Amino acid sequence: MANKNKSAAKNRAKNVAVQKRSGLSPALIAGIVVVVLFAAAVGFGLYYSNQSKIAADAAVPAGAVAAGGDQNGILVGNASAAKTMDIYLDFQCPVCKAYETQMGPTIDAAVAQGKVKVIYHPLAFLDRFSSTQYSTRSSEAAACVSETPGAFPAYVKLLYGNQPPENGNGLPDSQLVSLATQAGAPATVADCINNHTYSGWTARITDAASKANVTGTPTVMVDGKVIENTQQALTAALA
Amino acid sequence: VTGIVTGTPARATAVWLRWFVLVARLVVGGVWIGAGYTKIVDIGASVRAVRAYQLLPEGTVPLVGAALPAVEILVGVLLVVGLFVRVSSVVSALLMLAFIIGISSAWARGLRIDCGCFGSGGVLAEGADPTYGWELARDAGLFVLAVICAWRPSGAVALDGLLRGRAIPESSEES
Repeated sequence: MANKNKSAAKNRAKNVAVQKRSGLSPALIAGIVVVVLFAAAVGFGLYYSNQSKIAADAAVPAGAVAAGGDQNGILVGNASAAKTMDIYLDFQCPVCKAYETQMGPTIDAAVAQGKVKVIYHPLAFLDRFSSTQYSTRSSEAAACVSETPGAFPAYVKLLYGNQPPENGNGLPDSQLVSLATQAGAPATVADCINNHTYSGWTARITDAASKANVTGTPTVMVDGKVIENTQQALTAALA
Repeated sequence: VTGIVTGTPARATAVWLRWFVLVARLVVGGVWIGAGYTKIVDIGASVRAVRAYQLLPEGTVPLVGAALPAVEILVGVLLVVGLFVRVSSVVSALLMLAFIIGISSAWARGLRIDCGCFGSGGVLAEGADPTYGWELARDAGLFVLAVICAWRPSGAVALDGLLRGRAIPESSEES
């Protein structure tokens, strides 16, 4: 009995002590810090959501085609060709390079015959495979080059020909510029590439591809239908 | 006597369990930190990974994709240092449950995606097949560990213990 009273008194004393510390207990401080950090994480999410909405009205390069009114790709070939081919690619992606090397001649021939037009979507899916966000930078540079009629197809081949290894540093902007002039772009392309003029466009087309359920590169569509990445599927689709 | 001093009923957590909970905390927390880090370095990929499941409405996809990596790192750090273990374990278990539902659903619908757990952006490696079975087994294991930590959060070597321990001498001074 005495023991119980004693414990009750102790508990009362403890309660008083807790009140006296008036919200400054280490546990409370830690709790507040953690709650604030969680709120910051959610706040960052909200901020990011809004940023991606802003990217929707980014500058659009001259070569971007109004396919379905979205201007999310760069047109190569005759705009009135019967078939439309969409190639979703990443200049950092080795399989995309292999696809271009193997299928390029077939595609080029079909484009030259006016059978098909190709809309290139240079995405930034693989930024984590370089220390310099090469996927994003190469896509921006390709958009800059598309401003010069006829230079883009050559630039695609040059970028694949000089593709940097994964998990490296990517090509420096200076090399993106020199390859661009080599593809036929004027010297002013340097400003466009160095100023990342089309960063918003790159973000937008990458987002748009993801929304179109493109989950990997290369993804190739003919008239809106995904085809397998084989010579056979390509020949059949272009026939 | 212990019960009187701490103000909680004496519930002896076996020594082996205390150490098991510590290991479980470190495993779950370590996985969170790794998963959060690989996602936070490329937020765009994290958003695309969320979208690849085709489950959430598009309006919430960027929010979830951007906030999730930071939340994962935060929960991971809390578990590793042993702060608010019960709450962080419950959050861990709920997140794992959500992932298990998402992966099962992707599997059931025949989607060909990577779970995006470690920053792949939901992209399968070229020529690779989905590994839903392994991903589900891993998340189920982590779910069980998180539930154990939530059930007996008083593991060894935790900041929670330090916070609780601090209140005792101060209250005894008063009496």
